[in-house]
Amino acid sequence: MSIATILTVLRKELRDHLRDRRTALMVFTLSIVMGPLILVGLTYFVSSVEEKAEKREVYVQGVENSPQLVNFFARQDVTIKDPKPDFRELIKQGKHDAVLVIPKDFQQKFVSGKAEVELVYDDTRQDTGGGAGGVLRRLLRAFNGEVTVQRLIARGVSPQVMRAVEVQDVNMGTPAQRAAMLLFIIPWMALIVGVTGCVAVAIDMTAGERERGSLEPLLMNPVSRSAVIIGKWGAVAVYGIVIVTLILLGFGLTLAFAPMPKLAGVISLSPAQYLLFAAMLFPFAPAIGALQMLIATYGRTFKEAQTYVSYLVSGLSLVPVVSMFGQFKDAVWQLFVPMLGQLMVLTRILRGEPVQAIHFLLPMGICVLIAVVSIALLTHLLQRESIIFGRS
Amino acid sequence: MIEVRDLRKHFGAVAAVDGVSFIAKAGATTGLLGPNGAGKTTTIRMIGTLVSIGGGSVQVNGIDAARDPGGVRRISGLLTDARGLYTRMTARENIRYYADLRGVDATRSGKTIARFADWLDMKDILDRRTEGFSQGERMKVAIVRALVHEPSHVVLDEPTNGLDVMTTRALRELIKRLKAEGRTVMFSSHIMQEVAALCDEIVIIARGRVTAQGSADALLAMSGKNNLEDAFVALAEIDGAHGAEAAP
Repeated sequence: MSIATILTVLRKELRDHLRDRRTALMVFTLSIVMGPLILVGLTYFVSSVEEKAEKREVYVQGVENSPQLVNFFARQDVTIKDPKPDFRELIKQGKHDAVLVIPKDFQQKFVSGKAEVELVYDDTRQDTGGGAGGVLRRLLRAFNGEVTVQRLIARGVSPQVMRAVEVQDVNMGTPAQRAAMLLFIIPWMALIVGVTGCVAVAIDMTAGERERGSLEPLLMNPVSRSAVIIGKWGAVAVYGIVIVTLILLGFGLTLAFAPMPKLAGVISLSPAQYLLFAAMLFPFAPAIGALQMLIATYGRTFKEAQTYVSYLVSGLSLVPVVSMFGQFKDAVWQLFVPMLGQLMVLTRILRGEPVQAIHFLLPMGICVLIAVVSIALLTHLLQRESIIFGRS
Repeated sequence: MIEVRDLRKHFGAVAAVDGVSFIAKAGATTGLLGPNGAGKTTTIRMIGTLVSIGGGSVQVNGIDAARDPGGVRRISGLLTDARGLYTRMTARENIRYYADLRGVDATRSGKTIARFADWLDMKDILDRRTEGFSQGERMKVAIVRALVHEPSHVVLDEPTNGLDVMTTRALRELIKRLKAEGRTVMFSSHIMQEVAALCDEIVIIARGRVTAQGSADALLAMSGKNNLEDAFVALAEIDGAHGAEAAP
């Protein structure tokens, strides 16, 4: 086995596949377009959820009928807006937020303790009626509470009798943690790209070589099979690393320069974190590439190999879903499972949780093992006459 | 010189090559003639060290193919029916790849490519990508690729199969020139006329055995027929176990 052979094969495969439109398209769509697209999509999702939650605007009709209620709203930092005249029809159509209607006789009835208001909304319309209706309901409940307390005190009764249990909200999730749940999609995307990025290259240089009848003459050269395979795998590794780098760059540039203040607030990756991401993904893509080459070699044609490799790809893509439904707590055993281990560590990095040496060394070791075993088996496979001559 | 002794190869219960012996003399052209399925391709693959030798021995220029396959590959140029090219690369890049793998430096391979391209009339396709090449064009690229290291021994498996008249003619011309350069040439065919026109020595193989061996004239005389085709048919029918040996 000579270095010169490995380099010759590596150079040839890189050049050959650089000219392949399939590869170019894969690199382009997966890494350059997908990353930013997903981030922009996420931004809209995150900000729309936050907007709804923080909406401090309510529509009230008949503001003049209850200065007291209006005063209360103002103290809660709520902006009161006049509804459109035909709001009832608009709400039905889902084009208007919920409206509080204060009747003319409100003040008289309020004094006698029989006041009524009307809350107009459409609870089948989640996007408008639900959100703002909830805000109005909470405000009215708070108003009721305040008035009740005042009246009890006026009658010499302690307001405590009203409350059997005092509930205090203590939300332990930091905003960054909540965002990480959403943003699990970033490591997932990066891993999927690592898995699918060089499928076409891995298949073309194994099954493709068989299909076009170029494997037999190639192996007729006085070169060792392991050198040929290592050269080919080197090309797959280079493509894998380039693709993973591109998608990380895509994420990085989008986060840094796109006008997405909402997302920047919940996710900001430091250069060190990008390096950790890279350290996790760089061994992963080449290892999976070696496995794909091994599986693809059993295919006599590109298409046949594609079928075999797709089992692996879909299997790996399902791992994150399984982990999500399984609600796995981070554990050491996960580090032994390709994809699962990577996902766990990447998510930890993203959440800003501590990562230790074992989190890197263990998955990395598994990757090295996969690559070495795949290459050894592949070398063995290429001694088989049925593989060298078995063409369709 | 290529020396084949009692060569055997079984695929399951089928004996593809069943005790083939012959000598392809140095500097001469030897034809391996036989009907389809006679065992020509398997014999050639064993000579080219592509297939493990099932029994017997192969020596190319004194190098044992089983013991030193790399040594055999270095001095021989082998063309089988697998002539696949990389379609995103030009003809020249395809050939250069093999030159690089064999450690032939660019100046030397450049000269070799130019010479063969001249002989095979393929200068205009050298720098075109091989996507969409005709069968003849692919064949020409494959043969230059197999010979780019200037091997002393050239082994071709049915080189004219499926080619048009022009390409066949160019190829026959190439075989003559390779011999004129002093190389040992061996090729297989199932066309008697072709073998007779080009070869100093003909080895007829049928059902995995050598049934007759000698020059075209000697074989004609031995078969008692007056044309080559009848002679071939008659000689291929002979039971290989009592293989006929024509007098030199």
